[in-house]
Amino acid sequence: MDCCGGTDEHEDDCTEVIVKEGIDAKTVEAAKALESENYSAGFSTTIDMEFSPKGLSEDTIRFISAKKEEPDWLLEWRLAAYRRWLTMEEPTWAKVRYSPIDYQAYYYYAAPKSGAKYESIDDVPQEILDTYAKLGIPLREAEVLLGVEGAAETAAAAREKPRVAVDAVFDSVSVATTFRKELEKAGVIFMSISEAVRDHPELVKKYLGSVVPQSDNFFATLNSAVFSDGTFVYVPKGVRCPMELSTYFRMNAENTGQFERTLIICDEGAYVSYLEGCTAPMRDENQLHAAVVELVALDDAEIKYSTVQNWWPGDEDGKGGIYNFVTKRGDCRGARSKISWTQVETGSAVTWKYPSCILRGDDSVGEFYSIAVTNGRQQADTGTKMIHLGKRTRSRIISKGISAGKSDNTYRGLVSINKRAEKARNFTQCDSLLIGGRCGAHTVPYVENRRADAQLEHEATTTKLSEDQLFYARQRGLGEEQAVALLVNGFVREVLQELPMEFAVEAQKLLEVSLEGSVG
Amino acid sequence: MTTALRDLITNPNAAELELLARYGMLPEDARRARAFEAFAKEDLPHRRIEGWRWTDVKAALQVIETPPRITVADTLITDNALVFTFTPTGFTWPEDLPEGIRVLAKPEAQAFGGAETMPLGALAAALSGGGKRPGTLMIEVAGTDLPRLHFQFSGAGEANFARIQILVRPGAFVAVSESYLGGAGFTASLLEYSLQKGAVLSRTVYQRASTAEVLASTASVQLDEGAAYTQTTLAFGAKLARLETRVSHQQAGAKATLNAAYLCAAGHHADITTDVRHGAPACVTRQVTKGAVLDGGRGVFQGKFLVPRNVGQKTDADMQHNALLLEEGAEVFAKPELEIYADDVECAHGNTSGALDANQMFYMRQRGIAEDEARALLTEAFIAEALETAGDLEDVLREQARAWLAR
Repeated sequence: MDCCGGTDEHEDDCTEVIVKEGIDAKTVEAAKALESENYSAGFSTTIDMEFSPKGLSEDTIRFISAKKEEPDWLLEWRLAAYRRWLTMEEPTWAKVRYSPIDYQAYYYYAAPKSGAKYESIDDVPQEILDTYAKLGIPLREAEVLLGVEGAAETAAAAREKPRVAVDAVFDSVSVATTFRKELEKAGVIFMSISEAVRDHPELVKKYLGSVVPQSDNFFATLNSAVFSDGTFVYVPKGVRCPMELSTYFRMNAENTGQFERTLIICDEGAYVSYLEGCTAPMRDENQLHAAVVELVALDDAEIKYSTVQNWWPGDEDGKGGIYNFVTKRGDCRGARSKISWTQVETGSAVTWKYPSCILRGDDSVGEFYSIAVTNGRQQADTGTKMIHLGKRTRSRIISKGISAGKSDNTYRGLVSINKRAEKARNFTQCDSLLIGGRCGAHTVPYVENRRADAQLEHEATTTKLSEDQLFYARQRGLGEEQAVALLVNGFVREVLQELPMEFAVEAQKLLEVSLEGSVG
Repeated sequence: MTTALRDLITNPNAAELELLARYGMLPEDARRARAFEAFAKEDLPHRRIEGWRWTDVKAALQVIETPPRITVADTLITDNALVFTFTPTGFTWPEDLPEGIRVLAKPEAQAFGGAETMPLGALAAALSGGGKRPGTLMIEVAGTDLPRLHFQFSGAGEANFARIQILVRPGAFVAVSESYLGGAGFTASLLEYSLQKGAVLSRTVYQRASTAEVLASTASVQLDEGAAYTQTTLAFGAKLARLETRVSHQQAGAKATLNAAYLCAAGHHADITTDVRHGAPACVTRQVTKGAVLDGGRGVFQGKFLVPRNVGQKTDADMQHNALLLEEGAEVFAKPELEIYADDVECAHGNTSGALDANQMFYMRQRGIAEDEARALLTEAFIAEALETAGDLEDVLREQARAWLAR
């Protein structure tokens, strides 16, 4: 519905959005609460910072590598990526538009002057502690609301009393990592990637770039050249990580880009749940965030990766905001492994992000649950790729996109069934909702099937076979969505509702949305 | 050939050199030049171009040569049809035309809007004509009680290019059919359908070719207020067959039905691509595409609904694609896409692919029906829905499908 007589010339005078009948009022409110004027994480922290020389060159990369006291092999790895990047072109296929990025206008390294990593939480500058406290992320373990006692707690007890270990990344460096000692007792390595390079070079060398190769894509290659900090997690065989792990990324300094690198390895039979949050101050210029996340799940391992992405989206006129160009990929390398991505996307001016699963191990499972809300002039092109290589691999994609204001929200997803992926299954459901007539909602699914015995379903349409199964499950009192989950993945679990965390409040608001009145 | 012309395509392969040479031999014509440039800008379409990722023409068409001849009867020619034939070297059209149908065979090219988005349509526009063949065959239809217009593209040779424009006057009603029977190494046609207010047109497309042939049929359809366009396609594929339809709802209340069935055996590739722009309020689109593929065959479905800002409100559109992979080794690639900028619309899409329902097979086997027969029966029933809109030709298409399934 158009409130100003129908031509685009008038759109700037448009103040009130008329919402189509039948759209849930709570949903409209929830989306409104996410408008940029309500962005509460938009403050900036004044602290003395140290920067790399502005711009990007081999010298910048040497500077970063030297700052982090990296071994030669890693410097060479970075330089190889940089040289490759120089020959690559920025991708243009996504449904997003932004003015050309001047890669020489950014600082590729910014760290608080007083030092990168602090020996003890007491050494962390008060300004930074305050910043995280204000964002609701207490870094002093004693301040963590949900209990600290008992290092020898059992996994079961830990589940009942959820706690969160946090790696706090401030611009280019990790400033604090909590609960490390306790995690060490369980054998879990949880530290910044810079520390991991120093303390566990063999693991880093083995896995870094093994899921997202240096040459993967323009932004991943850039990241490989200049990545600053990020989190490293290794969960040893048979260990169920006793608490939730999380990283909180804060971009603070002006004219910087953040290029974190996260690497999570779950050894045989291990389990970890990892959460990631991100915010940035309101600034008028666009800042670049090009992260790479690599997950490796070996036999029977499970990784649950949740993101609440709330980078500064820019103001309502589209000024400022983060360019969020992220490569996230999980490799279900082992048999019966499982990787589950959950994302709540509300921030960033432009998002280009496709958390994916390579289902290599037989009977491995990939999941992708996404809620993306765009407001103002935000543009999001996000989705997933499920690459079925192993036998009896299963994947499930649930994506809900909500567009409001003058934003554009695109779901782009690939389901690919390899010739060897006997009896693979996928279920995809993507709903979109438009609030007002000045936004856009798009769906671009790619489905490649090379197996006759694969069963692929997109949206609400189901084949006869599933209809029977659905009927069977429904008859026994299961809701349709539950029934579908049961059929495809063999279990029912609404991952979104499992976000415990400090993100819960924020995510909860989003979960209230209803897709009634959706357009398809 | 001038150097400038050669430069239009970077690193041309033998096929592209042949196309450049053919263009160079046609009389100079500014419109023809524009169409050719639109084609040449991206070379022969290849997999790095989004809309051609699964249908790589450049890879399939290395050289243009006459393939071994396979004779296929045109079962769509019936008594009530006015037949126009396009071969690599000739063109025939009926001598007696009934009142209400006017035909102009123009030697020159006509302007082609949207050439950039339809590269092989642009190529057909640029290379049709020469000798006795029309550059553009223009047909005007007025009236309601008219015979079916039938266009046949066949005959041995290297390449067969054709361009047809059909204008259906307000309130007129006409049925049109097209048979692509192969014979040429490369066939490219461009058909432009313009339906004026309240006009009704039913189009049936039948395509069959060998695994040595590459074919591209591009249709551009414009619908005025209340016009109704119904399209039914039965495709058996070729080395590469691309059947592309772009529909533009230009005035309120237009309706388009785009149904297709593809059946691909080993070495056959059928690509059904559609793009529908809902550029006026309250337009309706219904689309059902069904496919069945054997070992070594490949089916491609790309559907897109676009609802532009402001103008597309009250759009009612539904897209379904269901495919059967009848044997291991079959491939089905699909992209059902929605691009929506209006909030008060109903757009749905569904996509499934997999094997035949094991329960249904079991049921038939239990009743003593042999496996092959059961499979053929179920597959025929599966694709039948997509052929229901072919009117008088439904039975003909069903028969063709049945014969293929019984092989």
